[in-house]
Parts: sequence; structure tokens; C-alpha cells
Amino acid sequence: MEQILKILDIEGVRLAVGLLAVFLFVVVNALILTWAERKVAGHMQLRIGPKEVGPYGLIQPLADAMKLLGKEIITPRNVDKPIFYLGPIMIFIPVLVAFVVIPFDSYLQVRDINVGILVILAFSSFTVLSILMAGWGSNNKYSLIGSIRSIAQSVAYEIPLLLSLLAVIMMTNSLSLKDVVVAQKGIWFIFLQPVAFIIYFIAAVAETNRTPFDLPEAESELVAGYHTEYSGMMFALFFLAEYTNMFIVSAITVTFFLGGYQGPFLPGIVWFLLKSYFLVFVMMWFRWTFPRVRFDQLLNISWKALIPLSFINLLVTGGLLKL
Amino acid sequence: MVDKVQAELKSAFSDLTIHEESYPECGYHLSLDLAAGDLEKAARFFDDRRFYLAVELCVDYREYLEIVYIFSIHSSLCKVKVTLKIDPVNPVAPTLSKVFDCAWWYEREIHEFYGVRFDGHSDMTYLFLHDGIDVYPLRKEKVLVAEADRLELNSFSPEQREDSLSINMGPQHPSTHGVLRVVLRMDGEYIEDAYPVLGYLHRMQEKMAENRTYQQFLPNTGRMDYLGAMSYNLGYVTAVERLVGIDVPARAHYVRMIATELNRIASHLLWVGAYLADLGGLSPFLYAFDDRENLLDVLEAVTGSRLTYCYFRFGGLYNDVDDAFVAGTKAFVARMRGRFALYEKLVGGNVIFINRTRGIGVIERELARKCAVCGPVLRGAGIGMDFRKAEPYAAYAEMNFEIPTGRNGDALDMYHIRIREMETSLDIIDQSLARLSDGPFMVEKPPKKLKPRKGDLYHTVETPRGELGIYIVSDESDKPYRMKWRVPSFSNLMAFPELAKGNLLSDAVAILGSLDLVIPEIDR
Amino acid sequence: MTVTPSSFIKGAASLAAGMGVTIKSFFQPVVTSQYPHEVLTITPRFRGHVMLLANPENPSTNACISCGICLRNCPSGSIKLVEGEKREGEKRKTVTTYILDFTTCSQCGICVESCTTNALGFSGDFNCAGFKREDFLFDLVKEFEKRKKVS
Repeated sequence: MEQILKILDIEGVRLAVGLLAVFLFVVVNALILTWAERKVAGHMQLRIGPKEVGPYGLIQPLADAMKLLGKEIITPRNVDKPIFYLGPIMIFIPVLVAFVVIPFDSYLQVRDINVGILVILAFSSFTVLSILMAGWGSNNKYSLIGSIRSIAQSVAYEIPLLLSLLAVIMMTNSLSLKDVVVAQKGIWFIFLQPVAFIIYFIAAVAETNRTPFDLPEAESELVAGYHTEYSGMMFALFFLAEYTNMFIVSAITVTFFLGGYQGPFLPGIVWFLLKSYFLVFVMMWFRWTFPRVRFDQLLNISWKALIPLSFINLLVTGGLLKL
Repeated sequence: MVDKVQAELKSAFSDLTIHEESYPECGYHLSLDLAAGDLEKAARFFDDRRFYLAVELCVDYREYLEIVYIFSIHSSLCKVKVTLKIDPVNPVAPTLSKVFDCAWWYEREIHEFYGVRFDGHSDMTYLFLHDGIDVYPLRKEKVLVAEADRLELNSFSPEQREDSLSINMGPQHPSTHGVLRVVLRMDGEYIEDAYPVLGYLHRMQEKMAENRTYQQFLPNTGRMDYLGAMSYNLGYVTAVERLVGIDVPARAHYVRMIATELNRIASHLLWVGAYLADLGGLSPFLYAFDDRENLLDVLEAVTGSRLTYCYFRFGGLYNDVDDAFVAGTKAFVARMRGRFALYEKLVGGNVIFINRTRGIGVIERELARKCAVCGPVLRGAGIGMDFRKAEPYAAYAEMNFEIPTGRNGDALDMYHIRIREMETSLDIIDQSLARLSDGPFMVEKPPKKLKPRKGDLYHTVETPRGELGIYIVSDESDKPYRMKWRVPSFSNLMAFPELAKGNLLSDAVAILGSLDLVIPEIDR
Repeated sequence: MTVTPSSFIKGAASLAAGMGVTIKSFFQPVVTSQYPHEVLTITPRFRGHVMLLANPENPSTNACISCGICLRNCPSGSIKLVEGEKREGEKRKTVTTYILDFTTCSQCGICVESCTTNALGFSGDFNCAGFKREDFLFDLVKEFEKRKKVS
């Protein structure tokens, strides 16, 4: 055991094992979440959802994954091939990187970087680049409109996202995620920073393109938005990224506002996953309740409400800290 | 009103005879036959008096083609039939599209079915037919398509401009509900111009009607508007009964109304669900379907089908209802009354929904009249016109119900009107159930072969989508000589290009949804 | 769009109300039935494809006299062929072949209504499935015999 820990202490090994674990987690998480989404949707709509494949339909996502793997990857005529193929792959990289710095438990963290949150935010901005690549490369007008929407949305919502986290960072004086969690030993930041929490969560839902902010892929307007032209595994990658992103933003919310892995009785990892998946459930709950907002309203919410509010919140926080 | 219009017509067209017609028999009060030169003047005459052009159609009488215009008015009951006889060898007629917007569409339809060219019409592209049609289908004698018209077949191509983007919404698009195709010219996300392209579901029902006996055409009616099949059934049955002169027993009337109103609720429920799905909220769809399934069970137990009903017969019903139907209907009415609160919470009160629909697709009264918009869309514009009240058929005259109207004419109003219409339908069902007494459900001697009188009839009923007009020309045989269906979705669609202009793409979806279009009905 | 504090609170409340509806149904029993594990009973008036009914006086035969009225009245021409033969000792013809093309039938019931001997009725068969069009060319006489054997 000790030897294993020793080997794990070697930087390279730790990173390699960590990345492998992260990759596995990403896949398993996406499988569970697709199942959960369909179950939640089902029961919220007075029906059952998947139930035939495996007990409670648990094997259903696996069957779906197999189906998608077996499907032909269709390349439409006149697509910009390098960009078209790079899009779905590019969307996956930031997702993997984000996991590296998330503290699942006091010891379960691939790498504690002292600018952890900056890494996550910087890489998650990459997502929009790959969406743009997908939309532009597809040579489809619906995809293009979807990706253009995505950029405007991303620009609008990253600001309140960052500003709300900044309020917390001002209180902890650290960009390391672990320090943020440790700082919440006494009281969770959701109670100290309720406004920041709400702003962050709304912005996070928008960042992950979930209903009511799912404009880039609004199926009743844009067919499937930026991934209209993708099929088979390429489509699956977008799908995987969406569900992983959902988990990541929930994990960050937990880390910053809900005390991270801390909690009584149960081990830290259990607490962490419980809290994160609860937030994921709330996002699903949103999706299966609300209609979609309109594009100009979406931008209005951010520029006219969330950004001023988060600035005020930042000012108040700063003022109170100075006192 | 009729007398006043007659007097004014007399002074305006002194050299013409204005025929007074028997409204119960023909469905219109006055008729006048015009010469081509007088047509525009007549159209302006009716336009000035705030009439709307209910329908424009053509009938081939072999010696001449007759173009029929039915003018009607929202504020009272006065219908005028204007006819124009034209030469069948070289059919040319003046256009009315400059006065009434809806004529632009009807004239295109007449052009492709009869080969009539309209002078001054801006776009004679075919609406419904596709390549390979080399005769005019509704002409009684075989007339080959003229070379000029052959070029119009499939000639539509979106106009390309330097700094705008053309988008095909449909025919396969999630929110066009079926196979409507709208070509949008966009500036970024803003719509500059919308151009509906029709005909993807065209079945030529009007030609089918000419080849079938009145009885044999009955099942076709439910296939035009599959969501309001009962209303279509009822409209057709009452029209033919009016033409032939059959009196239907009271019990049949009440059962007809109950079934039709149940069907109206089913149609509106589906609309609520589908509309919210258009706006991105998928759950209300399933809630609406839960209610709808309960309702369909009741209807299935008595009619035998769940969607394309064919339950009414000339002179009564297919079969009688039993106590289980009455009990089931009562149970559904009770259940439905309790469900409106849920819809209000989930949909009607939702701030996102309100912001998506308020002020969107506002129908001005003038536009409503020019396009002959009808049904909940018209009532949304604040005109309380409902043919169940205006021209009562079945036993609607005995019913006591209100006509919900909107104030702003926007999509939010349409939602509330449809919800309130469900409530009024429940009221009508309640009253009909109370009056339902024992008795025959069919006339004593159901007609084996119909012998309608010679002449024509324009009969209107209110379907869930609005004014359904059935124009039948009979030549005393058991097959209709000509049957024209004036369908509500078609005239509601005519307003869409105007409504969509200058709005966002998302709004176009919201507007298209609020009109509640059923494409098979438009294409017939 | 302007956001005032009161409209913000009202909006948030309306969103919460909607979420209340969905979470309530999340814990409610489902309303769907799990076909094919449970099959609902079909109403007696359900309109499946047309079938020949047994003669109430003599249940081993059907009442069809192959007069062909249904064939002439069918609006879609779905009834392809009605043939019968006159058997010894019987006053009327007995049907030997009755071909229904179910692919074009719209279950309008005009054949059922027009039948002078009440020999036709709707079956409760709601899940017709087949791999080729010919699977839906039903010979109603053969089906009638088959049903007779089963019962």
C-alpha cells in the first residue's frame, strides 16, 4: 500500500494515473447522466423512461453508446474537413483538463495547481471555439447560426461567471480550489455569498447550453444547432462533452459554495458526488420544466441583470472585507 | 345589414341585377354577376364597407368558367356571392390581390387547377402541384397545361441577395409540424422576408370529391384536418343535409355537439403541448397528452377511432351513445376543469413563456380582415367572431356560451383564448349532456342515395382552427359537381409572412406555432 | 426588457411554481401503460380491419351472399374481389373468396353499413404488421375459417 502511494507520489505517474481515472470517470459519468436525464425526464412527464435494457434500463446508455459507435460517420458534401473533424475532438480536451484540478476529496485531486480556477475557466472558454469550428465547418446555415449564438452567449455569460467566483476568491485569497474548500470548514460560502451563488448557477446553466438557455442547439428553431451535421461517434463526443460539462460546473459550484467534499459522517468523496449530482439534478429539473428564452432576452439577462449585480456584489464584498 | 348593402349595391352598380337569395338554402344572402371591368370596383366597394373575402374559387361549367367570390363581414351576418364568368378557351381574369391579400393565394390556386391567368398578379408560381402534371386537374374537359404554365411548375427558387441569408425552414423542420416549408430571407437572426412554399402534402381532395358519391367522400373529411376531424365531419354532414334537406333528430344534434367539442378540446390540448415544444419546453406536451389520452378513450369507445373520426352520417350518427359514454364524458369534464390550474402554473404564468409570447406576432384588425384570418387567431385580434354563434349549425343556437377574445392579438392572447375556448367547450358539453334525452339517433329512413337539389351552397362551420367553408355545386346527381373547401389554416398562414417580417428566427417559430397550422388541411 | 425587483421576484415565483408541478409529478405514479407487458382491452367498437361475421342462426357459416354491394361502395377500392357459389339446397349464394387490400383501407365502415345481410364487422386487431404488401391482402373467408377452427 505504502509503496503504491510512493509510486503515486511521483509526479508523472500521478498525472498519468490521474488522467486515466479522469477519462474513465468522464465516460462513466456521461453514461450515468444520460440514463439519469432520461429517467428524470420520464418521471417528470408522468412516464417511466428507459426500462427494457437491464434493470431499470441501466444498460440503456451503454447500448446507445454501442449503437453510436457502430454508426457511420457521415461527412456531408462541402464541409471544411479539418475543422469539421477537429470540432468534436477539441470540445473534449478542456473537459479533461478541468477534471485535473477538481478536488474530489482531500486527497483525491490529480494536481492542486495554485491557479486552479483560472485553469478551469481558461480551458472552458475553449469549448466555444470548438462549437464555432463545428458550426462553421459543417457548412450548414442552422449550424452556423447555432455557433454564432453560442459565441455571443459565451461572451455574455463568462463575465458574470467569473465575477461571481471572484467574490469568493477575494474572501479566500487563493485561486487554488483546495484552499477554497478548506476555507469553508466553518460555514459554506453559499450563506456568505448567496447572490454570487445564484449568479454563478444561472451563468453556469447558460455556459453548458442547457434549457432554458440552450439556444445554440435549440431544436425547434435550429434543428440541432451546431451539431446538426454530425453523426455516430462525432455526435457522441458532443453529447459526452455536454454531460461532462454539466458535472464540471456542478462540481465547481460545490467546491466554491457548498463546502466541497466536506460533510459529516460520510467520506468526502461521497459528499462531493452527492452534492454535485444534486445540482445536476436541479439542472435537469430546469430543463424539463421551462421553455427556452429568446436570444435577445438571454443577452439582456446577462448584460442588464447578472453583470451589474455581480459587480455590486463584488463591491459590497470588497467593502465588507476591508472593514 | 343585408338590406342596406343591397341598396348601396344598387346605387353603385345601377345596371346590374342583384339577386336576393334564400339564405337557409344557399348560405349567402345576395348574389350578383359581374363583368370583368366591374370587379375591382366591386372589391373596393366591399373593402370600404369592411367586408372580407372569405373565399375565391372557380367552377368549370363547361360553357364558361365561373369565378366565385364570397364576401362576408365580421360584425354581422351578411354574405354576398359575386360571380365572374370567363371564357374557358382563353381564361383571363382581373386580380383582386391588390385589394384583398388572401386573393393572392386563392388566385394562384385557381391558376394551377384551372389554367386561369390573373391580370396584374405578381406571382403565378404553382402552389400545390408538382412536375409532370400536364392537364389542369379540376377542368371538366381535358385541357393541356399551357407552355407558359409549364414553366411555372417548380419554378420557385429563393431569391439570392448579396448580404442576406436564405434559410429553408422545412419541409422537414421540427417546428413546422408536418411538411410546411417556409423560405426565410434573413439578416443575421432577423427575418427580412418569409415565403411559404406549399404542396408537400397535397392530395387533391377537391378532385376526389368529384369522383365519389357524397357518402363515399365522408371518410376523406377527417383526413384533411386530422386534429379537428369531428368538426370537418360535422361541417360536411350539415352542409349536405342542408343541400338535400334532411332534418336530424335532436339526440343526434346533441351527441354531435358533444363529440365535436370533445374533439375541439383534444385539438387545443395538442396545440398547447406542441406550442410549448416549439418554445423549448417539452414537458407540457406530455401533460397535455395525458389529458388528451383520457379524452380519446371516451371518443374511441363510441366512434371506434382515436384520430380520424368518421362518426356522423347524413341524417344522424353512425351508432348511438351509451351510458358509459355519458359517464365517461362527465368524468372527463370534471377532470379537465381541475387541470387548468396546472397549465396556468406550468405554462400560462411562467415568466419565460410570457416573455416569449407577449407582443409577438401581433395581428392587427386590418391585416386580419385582408387575409381573412379566422378562428382563435381572429378572436385574438379582438374580433369576437365565432360561427357557432354567428351562423349556428347543429343545436349551437340553444347553447349559452361566451366567445373569448383577446386584446393585443399577440401569441400570448392566442394561448389564453385557446385555453378559455376549452372551458367554453366544456360548458357546451355540460349543456348538451343536460339536454340529451332518449330518442332516435338517426332519421327514420336513412337516405340510401342522396338526391340534392340543383344549385350551390356555401356552408360554414367553426373548426378548432376557425372558419371552414364548404362550397358545393350540385347537378342533382349523387356526386358533387364541384366541392371547394375553404380551410382555416390556409388563411391563417396567409398572415404569416406579414407577421414574421422584422422578427427574430425564434419569434418566427413562436408566431408559426401560435397560428396553429395543420398542414394537411392547407394542402388538402 | 426591464427588470425591476418586483417583476424579478414575481418571475422567480412563477418559475418556482412550474418547478413545483414537475417535481410533484416526479414522485407521482406514471400514467403510461407498458405495452407489450400489459395490453389494454380494446373497446368493442374499435375499428380494426373488416372481417366476416358468423351467421347468428348458423354460427359455422357467415351471412355473406357475395352480392358485391360493399365492393361497389368502397370509396378507396380496397375490396378487390368478392366471389361466391350457389350450393345445393341453399337459397342464396355462399361466399368463397373475399379479398380485402388493407393497405388502402381507411376503416371508414361504409362496407359494414351498406351490407344488406350484416355479414361484415370490425375486428379488434390493432397490431397488423408484415414485411411486404402482400401480407395485407386479407382473404376474409379464409380468416373466418381459421377463427372457426380456433374457437
